[in-house]
Amino acid sequence: MTDYLRETHHEFLAASREALADARLQQILGQLGDTLGRRNREAWAALPNSDLIRERARSIKDATLADLDKHLAKLEETVTARGGHVHWADDGLEACRVIVDLIRRREATKVVKSKSMTTEEIHLNHALEAAGIEAVETDLGEYIIQLARHRPSHIVAPAIHLSAQQIAEILSKPAGKRLPAERETLAQFARQALRQKFAQAEVGISGANFAIAETGSIVLVTNEGNGRLTCALPKCHIAIMGIEKVIPRLADLPYFLKVLARAATGQKLSIYTQIITGPRRPGELDGPEEFHLVILDNGRSRILGSPLRESLFCIRCGACLNACPIYRSVGGHAYGGVYAGPIGAVLTPLYDGLSANHHLPHASSLCGACQAACPVKIQIPEMLIRLREQLHHEPEQRSRLESLAYRFWAWMLKRPRLYQISTWLASRTFGRLKRGDPWVRRLPGKLHGWTQRRDFPAPAAERFRDWWNKEGRDE
Amino acid sequence: MSDSTAFLARIRQAAEQGRQYRVHLQPFDDQIGYLGAGDDLVERFAAEVNAVGGQAFVVPDLEAARKQLSDLLTQAPAASAVCWQHSLLDRLGLGELLPAAGVELIDHQRLANMPEVEHRNKLLACNVGITSCDCAIAETGTLMMCSRLGHERVASLLPPTHIAIVEQPQIVPDLLDAIAKLAHRGVESLPSNVTFITGPSKTGDIELQLTTGVHGPGKWLVIVIAGANNGG
Repeated sequence: MTDYLRETHHEFLAASREALADARLQQILGQLGDTLGRRNREAWAALPNSDLIRERARSIKDATLADLDKHLAKLEETVTARGGHVHWADDGLEACRVIVDLIRRREATKVVKSKSMTTEEIHLNHALEAAGIEAVETDLGEYIIQLARHRPSHIVAPAIHLSAQQIAEILSKPAGKRLPAERETLAQFARQALRQKFAQAEVGISGANFAIAETGSIVLVTNEGNGRLTCALPKCHIAIMGIEKVIPRLADLPYFLKVLARAATGQKLSIYTQIITGPRRPGELDGPEEFHLVILDNGRSRILGSPLRESLFCIRCGACLNACPIYRSVGGHAYGGVYAGPIGAVLTPLYDGLSANHHLPHASSLCGACQAACPVKIQIPEMLIRLREQLHHEPEQRSRLESLAYRFWAWMLKRPRLYQISTWLASRTFGRLKRGDPWVRRLPGKLHGWTQRRDFPAPAAERFRDWWNKEGRDE
Repeated sequence: MSDSTAFLARIRQAAEQGRQYRVHLQPFDDQIGYLGAGDDLVERFAAEVNAVGGQAFVVPDLEAARKQLSDLLTQAPAASAVCWQHSLLDRLGLGELLPAAGVELIDHQRLANMPEVEHRNKLLACNVGITSCDCAIAETGTLMMCSRLGHERVASLLPPTHIAIVEQPQIVPDLLDAIAKLAHRGVESLPSNVTFITGPSKTGDIELQLTTGVHGPGKWLVIVIAGANNGG
């Protein structure tokens, strides 16, 4: 597997503290719940049977994964039959190599890209740059962060961490003049500048929201239209997808489309949904003459056979980010990986290593807002708990003292008399002492590790058992 | 490139191992997910087009559609228009209407005879794209566009204004109906590109505020002919 990421691993806590102290970022994040988050909740409320439609989408993913190899084999057959080419890539490095080779074979040097999280995951832009290929991101948000050399901070709104003022400064550089911080002007500038890039580009690179096995198609969902330009103007279109993106039938697609846009932006459908099937046909005047599909594993097959396989249901809508109180406090960059928010807290440890990202499974209050917002109802809190449990088995994370403490705890819980005595003692001592204040803010000694970032509930002055014996029984 | 046999063998093994963690096996009623659009498809379609930021013009017949189109071309204002070759546009008489409005008509036939560079420049200079659609979806205010000779993808993409002309029999209630239509033509032979368009080009990338016309057309105008096939 590729070391998708970085030489030095990211410190979630330090990055969070920085994010919390950044007033501008806090203001922007504060709007998320009232904009995208609210639109998502309203969209579920306005969609009759939304629960069952989401179940349906979920069950299609589940059934597809159970026979994933067959659907992928079928996809290869149909893409080839429609005149396209399929390439298999075990990891990110290999995917980058395949794509660079395809571009070199055409002797091309100018590439336009439509937004794709998968290309972020494999660091394609670095590989292209190293090969002397100019690759321009054309989604407005991606274009901005590419110029600023930032990482995306949100799955669907990659430049959400920047203000209009900051964006104006970033775009002023290629414009060669000072641009005002007006949205319309900035968008118009980007339109003009990127049109030039589209007109010159020899190759277009995109991701794929879905691939349909029976038809040999990929599906691209966008709002700006750059996704359409990317596969209408250049002579060659290269799409890259993770293995989990395939769905068996064309008839499966509408259920995903119905939930995807609602979850991502609160729209009934995104502005442009394309079903792309092979290169242009003889006589057609636009569309690519060559179509390539790169199918990427990069650790996914390992997850497919594990209890965390459900994370492969994700359709990258970003709804869990908007719903999450942690994401809305610390923003996307704090998570360190390419995927942020609750789903990022699951995916990054899975792809990049659990021990190296040991804070992420804990970066959640397990409130369940992510699961409620998810268009395919992924049980994110349950997966986070499972990852927390796995952390205890990681050699670097294992603590003798902690294991001993838990073993003692388990031993005592199995002995009712002992348990009763201990709760009686706790209520008589700490309980009476802490009367009126239900929280312990600092536990003594090593135990303080637990109270550094949370409060510990103090034992009650009177145990429930005692109250029940006295009063509860008669009610 | 990895060998497909080894790659798929690994996936097969993982998929089989993963089956013990399957989450859902219950069957679903066919109707789950079908929303429909009520009785009056024209009215609903027009309302949804307006709701997503387009402008719908409901007209009773072809004659009124001609008048509406002329008005829109004057307002644009348009010097040249890239147009589909489509039977509805033929009945509308685009070939006479555009020159009469002083608009240069650029269609497949003209483009196919141009050298590539000129062809590209012509397209990039067009102010307006005029199309019909393969079907329209009332529930969402969507146009389904299939690419083929004479149905260029760029007509609804490159110009700053896209005008689509739709007549009542083209409107279906739900996305599921549109997909069924596609499937009916044969899943083995989908067109090279099918695009569902639901509104003018939009972005929320600057401070989450909607801004239109960033890459595709910022103006999305749909003329809906309410009467069915009434000659004209």
